[in-house]
Order: sequence, then C-alpha cells, then structure tokens
Amino acid sequence: MKKNHLFALTLISVSVLAGCSTMPQSTTLDNARTDYNHAQANPQVVKLAPLQLKEAGEALDRANAAQVSREDAKVVDSLAYVAQQKIALTQETAQRKSAELAVSNATAERNKLQLQARTAEADQAHQQAAMAELTAEQKTAEANLARQQAADAQAGAAQDQASLAAMQAQMDELNAKKTPRGMVITLGDVLFDTNRAQLKSGGERNVQKLAEFLKRYPQRTVLIEGFTDSVGSNSSNQVLSEQRAQAVSKALTDMGVSRDRVSTKGYGEAYAVAGNDTASGRQLNRRVEIMLSDERGVIAPR
Amino acid sequence: MMKNTSRFQLPQLSRSGVACAVLAGSVMLMAGCAGTPPTEQIAITKAAVAHASNAGTTQFAPVELQSAKDKLARAEQAMEKEDYALASQLADEALADARLAEAKSESAQAQKAAKDSQDASRVLREEINRKAQ
Repeated sequence: MKKNHLFALTLISVSVLAGCSTMPQSTTLDNARTDYNHAQANPQVVKLAPLQLKEAGEALDRANAAQVSREDAKVVDSLAYVAQQKIALTQETAQRKSAELAVSNATAERNKLQLQARTAEADQAHQQAAMAELTAEQKTAEANLARQQAADAQAGAAQDQASLAAMQAQMDELNAKKTPRGMVITLGDVLFDTNRAQLKSGGERNVQKLAEFLKRYPQRTVLIEGFTDSVGSNSSNQVLSEQRAQAVSKALTDMGVSRDRVSTKGYGEAYAVAGNDTASGRQLNRRVEIMLSDERGVIAPR
Repeated sequence: MMKNTSRFQLPQLSRSGVACAVLAGSVMLMAGCAGTPPTEQIAITKAAVAHASNAGTTQFAPVELQSAKDKLARAEQAMEKEDYALASQLADEALADARLAEAKSESAQAQKAAKDSQDASRVLREEINRKAQ
C-alpha cells in the first residue's frame, strides 16, 4: 500500500516536474498528504490502526488520481476531504485502542494489588487467630490456676476450720475455760489425795487427755500453777502447791511431753477463787490450774 | 535520480493516456453523471449518520456530527434535483464525517475510562500502602 502511495506521489511529482503548470492545486489535498505522512510516521497508528491507515491511503490515492486526471477541483477537494477524515479516523482509532489497553492494564494491576492485599489480610488474620489462640490458652491456664488456688484456699480454710473445731472439741473435753490470760484447765482438789501431791486415777485421766492435746499441738506449752486453801501454815501451803503442780508436770512428762514445754509454779493460798470460810469454798481453792499457751508458746503472766 | 525516474516514467504515462481517459470516464460514470441515482450510497450514509447520532458524539464530536447531518441533508436535496454526482460526493463526505464522529467519541470515552481506571489503581495503591503502614 505504501508502495502504491509512493507511486502515486511519484506520478504527481512527475507531473509537476513535467511542467504541467496548468494542473489545479488543492489545499485540501496538500493538507491530506501532510496528515497522511504524519499518520504513517506515528508508530501507534501503524501498530493499532493498520486497516484504517490502509483505507485512508486508498482514499488519498483516489484524490491524487482525480487531481492527476484533472477532474473538477470540487471533486478533488471532496475526495481529499474524505481522505483527510479517514486519516483523522486512524488517529482516533489508535488513541481509542491505546486507551483500551491502558484500561485493561490498570484493571490487571488492580486485580494484582487486590490479590496481594487480600493475601496480606489473610496472613494477618492467621496471625491474629494464632495470637488469639495463644491468649485464650494463657487465659485458660490462668483461670485454671485461679480455680486451683481458690480450691486450695477453700480446702485450707476448711482444714483450718476443721482443725480449729477439733481443737475446740478437745479443749471442751479437758473442761478448758477461756479466761483473759488464755485457756485454763482446772484440776480440782478431788483429783488429789488430801494433803498429798499424788494424783488420783481420775486426775491421771485428765492429764492423759492434756498430754494427747499437747502432742497434737506441739507449738503449745503449759504453765502449771498450784493453789491451796488457807488451812495450815503459809509455808506448808506454798510447798504443797508447788508439789501438786510438779506432780502434774511429772505426769505430763511421763506421758511423753517434752520437759521444756512444761513449767510449774506454786502460789500457796494466794489467788483464792472462793471464800475459805466454808468447806465447799476451801475445796474450790485447793486446785491446780493449767494455763495453755497460744500458738507461739506464750503465756500471759499473772 | 528524480530526473532519471521522470524520463523513464513519462513515456509510460503517455502510453496509458487512453487508459487514463477511460478511467476518468468511468469515474464520472460512477459519480452519477450518466444519471444513475446513488440510492444505495445515500441509504448507507443515512444509516451511518443515524448510528452516529448519539449522546457520545453530541458531546465529544459535535462538529463532525453536525457536518455529517448537514451534508446528508444536502445530498438528499441533490437527489431530489437529480444532481447525482453532487449527491454521491456529499454522501461520501457525510459518511466519512459520521465515521470520524463515532471514532472521536469512542476514543474520548475510552480515554476517560483509561484515566478513571488508572485513577482507581492509584487510589487502591495508596490505600494499600496506607494500610500496610
């Protein structure tokens, strides 16, 4: 086609050179030739609108041929005009196709970007899920620990309560009484022979219970205090009260209670708990009191 | 070079002078000089102009569209006056105008679409970059 066109151009040049000065000039045709040369030099047009360029070339050939055959100027102009429009069409077609390529390229790019973004999102979600799982596991572990601790605490409390109740029961058995100084167990006069420091068998049973209690609560100590009534001399009463306290102490250590946990003291006829003017009052005053220490082994002094 | 070619070409042209005359005659014949109305050509142009008359061409190629319509009208007038050569010539021009109008409109719309598409890509790229930060 290019060859054809070249041939047509050659014909025209030939005609001009040959001195056909009478050949009518057409501005429209001149412009069409210029436009056509531009279109042919445009690689985009050559590549994207080859069919349209061919048709434009053919239209230009017809206009050239009309001029060569000296047709009416109006006919040449008209054909040149048509050629011009067809050349313009090649440009428009090339631009359209180029734009369409740009659209599909941009669409492809977007799809790629979206895919990448989605992949990244999925990765992130996986990561978050893994993190959440980890956190959940941690929380479960924490909850289990807390439950365990609560259970332990409850069990401990129950145990404490139980042991406290057991101790209370044993103290009740010992007829222990709560006083401002602490728990006191009173062994009455009837548990001793008159004017003797020897424990009767009934007293021994009471001491046995105390020994068991002390074995069970090794942190407790005892202070054994002896008292008498006002009958007899002060010194003999003092001795008797000491001896009776020591008798109880000996019974305890004989039963396996460590000697350093037991201390004794005699008070004679001091600290009477009843009047010494009646027989029953004097009987109440003849006694041995056993002070139980607190958990730290401390006994409040009298 | 050119002169050589000229000397070589000239006799050829003279020899085909008769052929040239015949060609010119046939062109005139085709143009309707002999009185054959270009009915088919007018119909084709009419269809092309009708097809090109749309919102896109009105917006993007109003000059070409108007030119096509005017020339078609004048071609039809020439038909009525039985000036078939003019009718054919005008129909030819109107057809070229109509086709160009359509091509211009399509090109403009495609370029707009390309710009939108590229803008969308840019926005998406920016958005993804923002998210990634």
